[in-house]
Amino acid sequence: MQTPLQDLRAGFRDVLPLALGAALYGLAFGLLAAQAGMSVLQTGVMGSIVFSGSAQFVAVERLVAGAGAFTALVAGGALNLRILLMTASLRDVLAGRPFWQVLLGVHMTGDESWALLHATRATGRAVGYWYLVGAGACMMVAWVSATSAGAAFAAVLPEPHAMGIDFAFTAAFIAILRGLWSGRRDALPWIASAITVASLALLTPLEPSWALVAGGILGAVLAGVWGKDA
Amino acid sequence: MLDAFTPITLVILGLTVANLTIRLSGYYLGAALPQLGAWARGLKALPGTLITALVTLQLIHGGPNEWIAGAVALGVAIISRSLPLTMLAGIAVIFALRHWI
Repeated sequence: MQTPLQDLRAGFRDVLPLALGAALYGLAFGLLAAQAGMSVLQTGVMGSIVFSGSAQFVAVERLVAGAGAFTALVAGGALNLRILLMTASLRDVLAGRPFWQVLLGVHMTGDESWALLHATRATGRAVGYWYLVGAGACMMVAWVSATSAGAAFAAVLPEPHAMGIDFAFTAAFIAILRGLWSGRRDALPWIASAITVASLALLTPLEPSWALVAGGILGAVLAGVWGKDA
Repeated sequence: MLDAFTPITLVILGLTVANLTIRLSGYYLGAALPQLGAWARGLKALPGTLITALVTLQLIHGGPNEWIAGAVALGVAIISRSLPLTMLAGIAVIFALRHWI
């Protein structure tokens, strides 16, 4: 068992490759924010209090596209529905903590810190709450500084798609999936999730965020109903 | 100071409230669900199924380049079990495919 400080440091360190990816992605968000007419201060404040890369991207992209604040909000909010499932799956990490720690923990929960926590635990390391907070803090430093820098230096930055940066997170999540794989009992829920999201996204006009949530839930239901306790 | 409520500040504040509500609701939902049996198994399986859904969606939105790079990344992940190596391999392959092929 590690002390909270060791856990915090380990989380901060282990998430560094992902933070680097987020920083590059953050520069791209800063570019977009500048196009939306956001100041460097607004960009930095948004990064720290919203702290959700994909939702920020979608919402500000809608603003740039000329949609109103309400449409932008709904689009960004819908994309974050998956976070509901993420913080729900953190219950053993958050259980019994004082409310300020719950607040801090859920605010530090992003795709990267959350997935890394689960992947690290799958390797048998007994990391917990402070590991998540450390990883989230590192992500926040990278995200806030990169998005602000992107907004400040929008005119001189290269286009992220050409650099292949947009693929960094797909690759990262593939690596994290490898870490989460615990044997054949995962196969059915995972395949069901992939087929659900693919069919909903390709065959129906459903918002991709809803397809994502539906796939995740259906896979989990299968694991719950037909699975056996490990 | 009604001037302060531009679409931008509305979106920033609105998303902050929406996000915090979603994040906290998940915490309360998780705490309210049974600790054993089917609910617990489902919740435990959720990280894997949710990330599978996310990767599937990202690959659907891409094209053959992304599928090839995704397959290479998966191979590197299986062999190396390393997050930085997998990210590097994925980015290198997608960069090469987009620029030279």
